[in-house]
Amino acid sequence: MNRIQNKILLLTGIVLFIMATIWMALTFYNRQTQEQYNDILQRYLRMYEVTNASQQTITDLNNYLIQPTPQNLAQLDRSRERLRNAKYDVFSLRNAENDFTLTSYTNLIDSLLDAASRSLMFLSQQEIEQSNQAFNEAARISRSISEVTVTLIDTELKTYDQFYRSIIERSRELNKLGFWLLLTMTYLLILFAYWFSTSITRPVKRLTHAAKELSRGRFDQKIEVTSNDEIAFLAKMFEKMRTNVNNLIREIQQKAQLEHELQQSKLLLQESRYRSLQSQIHPHFLFNTLDTLSKKAFLEGAEETSDLLASVAGLLRYNLKRLDRAVTLYEEVRVLRQYMDIQLARFPDRLSFREEIDESLLYVQIPGLTLQPIVENAVIHAVEPFEEGGTIVFRVADNGDRVKVEIADDGPGIPEEKVVQLLKGGAVETEGHTTGIGISNVVQRLRLFYGLDDVIAIESALHAGTKVVLNIPKVRRHESDDQHIDRG
Amino acid sequence: MRKTVIAILSGISIVLLWFTVASAYRVFSADWRLPQSPARESAEYRLVLITQELDTPFWDRLGMSAREEAEKQGAVLEIWGSYSSDPDEFLKKLEIAIHSRMDGIIVQGLDTDAFRELVKYKAASYGIPVITVGSDVPDSLRRTYVGSNQFLAGQMIAQQLVEDMGTEGTVILLGDSGNAHYQNERLKGIRSILGAYPGIELQYAETSVARDRVIAAMKDLMNRSPDTKAFIAANANLAAAMVQEIGRRSRVEPYFIYSFDDSPDIEMLLRLGHIDGMIEQSPEDMGKLGVSLMLEWLRGEQLPLDSKGYHTEIRMRKANGGP
Repeated sequence: MNRIQNKILLLTGIVLFIMATIWMALTFYNRQTQEQYNDILQRYLRMYEVTNASQQTITDLNNYLIQPTPQNLAQLDRSRERLRNAKYDVFSLRNAENDFTLTSYTNLIDSLLDAASRSLMFLSQQEIEQSNQAFNEAARISRSISEVTVTLIDTELKTYDQFYRSIIERSRELNKLGFWLLLTMTYLLILFAYWFSTSITRPVKRLTHAAKELSRGRFDQKIEVTSNDEIAFLAKMFEKMRTNVNNLIREIQQKAQLEHELQQSKLLLQESRYRSLQSQIHPHFLFNTLDTLSKKAFLEGAEETSDLLASVAGLLRYNLKRLDRAVTLYEEVRVLRQYMDIQLARFPDRLSFREEIDESLLYVQIPGLTLQPIVENAVIHAVEPFEEGGTIVFRVADNGDRVKVEIADDGPGIPEEKVVQLLKGGAVETEGHTTGIGISNVVQRLRLFYGLDDVIAIESALHAGTKVVLNIPKVRRHESDDQHIDRG
Repeated sequence: MRKTVIAILSGISIVLLWFTVASAYRVFSADWRLPQSPARESAEYRLVLITQELDTPFWDRLGMSAREEAEKQGAVLEIWGSYSSDPDEFLKKLEIAIHSRMDGIIVQGLDTDAFRELVKYKAASYGIPVITVGSDVPDSLRRTYVGSNQFLAGQMIAQQLVEDMGTEGTVILLGDSGNAHYQNERLKGIRSILGAYPGIELQYAETSVARDRVIAAMKDLMNRSPDTKAFIAANANLAAAMVQEIGRRSRVEPYFIYSFDDSPDIEMLLRLGHIDGMIEQSPEDMGKLGVSLMLEWLRGEQLPLDSKGYHTEIRMRKANGGP
């Protein structure tokens, strides 16, 4: 987690390394150049030393010849020694070009030393004339040495001419190198610094952008920072936070949705109740009247009428009571039978009603007043309009974890677009319904009740009848622990 | 866009790096050491050829062949010398050569006491053999002489003159006042032939090589003997001034003019037809023979050398081509 620090250290290290390299190279170069210059100068100095030493020898010899004192002799010996050393030094300067001249040169030195010795010898033998002659010769040789020195230096210059020029050329090249080095280093450092700063600021920018998006309330955009430093860590944490917030919001939205649905179902219920109330003026008066009528009919021996009236009263009571709660399929079937009794009484010849019921399945939960409106619908559309009447079949069958409830008629069928409309819940048709509750109301209540879309299906074809199929789950999703037992 | 920028940037950095590296290579790859010539074995013998007439065709040819011969035999030969008529410089060079303890000295003879002194005593005391070439100084104790037989050369020129001119007439003979040995030999040779013809009158004069002196001497001679038919310059250096003086008086062609070849101008005079003939020597042979004799002597292959000298070929060359 110290990536940014690492980056800074790396940059510093690279710069330091480059500078050290350049410094070392230049130091190396300087040292080499100095050594080279020393070598060259040494050559010239050694040659010059010979000239110098030979002249010194002549001077000292002259002094001694004039004043033969021990000091002068010591001086002379010193300068002769010096000349001898110079001769040996000069040996090492030999190369192919100056070989001949250099040999002559050292021989000249020998001759000079010989002549000096001769002069001393003659002096010691008191032969002044010959001593002077030898001295003169030595002096001439010394002059020759000076001349040959010039020749040698000349040869030297010729031999190393190319080399000296290459030294000058190289120092020019060094200037050029400095220029190029400066240019390259500046360029590379600018590039590197740019890259380096972007590698830090780009993630920061992204993070800033993401924060801005979040602050605008857009929680659905993923935050991605590809670098591998602290910023990336920050971004990762930020991303986690965003995901959490997003999840929370979604949860809240879902809850709100549920609330909304609940509200809607309540509204629907109220609407149903309102309609049913609307159609039931003075219900208690009506019940009581119907009861009285039923009893009266019974007393008068009209038992059938009495039953009919009791069915009507039961239906009405059920209608009032059961609209807003869950009932068992058994109760529903009972009401349905009462209703069918009434209808059979209405159309004794035209209507035929058939039941195929698996009694063991009647415990399932179902919203109140579900079946009656569907059957009523079948009566209204498939029986009433037709002289010859119709048949309505009611089936309850096991279908795995569902209970299949079918209401089929042999009427003219429903056009497809109407079926779709009904299932969508868009259609509002209240014509002729006893309870004032239409199919679409039933559809919506069923869906809300079970939380399932496929709980109801309508199969219909023109002139081939209509079949409404309810697929009721045996266990209700939300209140599975409510009630399992058939209340029957 | 981004890709292009990256490509351009890397391109620039590659170019910069290339230039930098190339420059660094040039700076650091140079040789730091002084160029060491391969340590050649020092030559066995160091010889020196000393002449008074550097840069003349005659001595150039001689020096060239001498150097070639020395190289062939594994010796080193350097050519030293002075330019014309600077005997002091010449002698100084000779002395340096002796003091430098050369293994052998091949030198153009100079007929002076100083020269004799150097060769006789100094060279001998240092044990350095001296061979004279081109011109001889016989009494200098040089080992030997390599060059033309000047007496014979004189005879040849005189014979040619007799052949061309006939046996009667006046001949002007001009010599250098230096009285060099080689000139004396030539004069002797000429006289030995011409003396046999009583019809030939020989007028001899000596002059220094300075141009005006030559002209003055010529004027004097020609005034004294206006019927001169032939001229001989015993020293080739006099020929140019001589021809000029003759040409000033009349045409050059009718006269018979002869000389030797050891002067730079003589070749031109012959080609122009101003002189009728000259004795041609063999400088290449002299150089070659001189060096090989010196080396033979140094190696002890030929002891002693013939002190009379080794003569190289001489030819008569005439203006109109062949002899």
